[in-house]
Amino acid sequence: MTRTLQTTRDDYLIAGFTALAITIHIAESALPSPFPGIKPGLANVVTLVVLCRYGWQMAAWVSLLRVLVGSILMGTFLSPTFFLSAAGALASVAVLGLLFTVSRALPGWAVGPMGYGMAAALAHMSGQFWVAYVIFVPHSGLLTLYPLLMTLAAVLGIVSGLLTRTVLTRLNSTPLGGNPV
Amino acid sequence: MNGVKLSRGDAVVWLLAAALLVGLYTMFWQADGHGAEAVVLVNGKRWARLDLFQNQDLNVPGPLGHSHIQVRDGQVRFVNSPCLNKLCVHTGWLSQGGEVAICLPNKVSLQILGSDPRFDTINF
Repeated sequence: MTRTLQTTRDDYLIAGFTALAITIHIAESALPSPFPGIKPGLANVVTLVVLCRYGWQMAAWVSLLRVLVGSILMGTFLSPTFFLSAAGALASVAVLGLLFTVSRALPGWAVGPMGYGMAAALAHMSGQFWVAYVIFVPHSGLLTLYPLLMTLAAVLGIVSGLLTRTVLTRLNSTPLGGNPV
Repeated sequence: MNGVKLSRGDAVVWLLAAALLVGLYTMFWQADGHGAEAVVLVNGKRWARLDLFQNQDLNVPGPLGHSHIQVRDGQVRFVNSPCLNKLCVHTGWLSQGGEVAICLPNKVSLQILGSDPRFDTINF
């Protein structure tokens, strides 16, 4: 007996975008980082692009699948790195969901790529930081680093917002990219 | 491309983010390990409790004589003590929670009280 799984257009889009995000994630992990926990977060640009074009649900899939599959490929699955990364992704997906809902409800105050980028970066850093603080290094000295890390996250949030906006503009001007929600 | 141009919603998010950062700095950087009070023990018993922001000079009586302790602007130190090697004096100014200066021969010790004492020692 065979069972056929019905796949939808969204499934293919999620798979494709996740693959893209994983590729960027792995390429990025080869870059040396001056600070533990600080990465440009370029893979998040994919999440933000998906969020702006296809909505929150797909963005959540792409973001969480990217963390899961990325960690399996990197061999960090269930290691501290994985938990930090998963906490960051969960926090940023949650905050993005909140902002996305608000944007839907109040179109006049809709948040765009720049706002999403900032919120996602700060939420990601916070999620990661608090897991690090509560589980791995529960020493209050770590708290001194928190404002500093958040400042760096804000700067990176601006960068990812700008990148997201550029990608969105390019996508909207290509014939293939012409069917956002 | 066209610089940083924000929608109204973006501006709100950025303002909240800026407020959050300011809040974080005031919360986590203001309350550093500086102690506000110190205790002086003589022979293991509390002799005085000092407010570090009230400048004063004390002469603390010990078995060998008087140890001179000075409080200045959130710091405290032994100025002099009737002992031989003056370890307590060479300890210098104390300001961080948990720091101690002790004059063993005169049995006088000085410790900064702090909710978050710094490490006694660190091993690698």
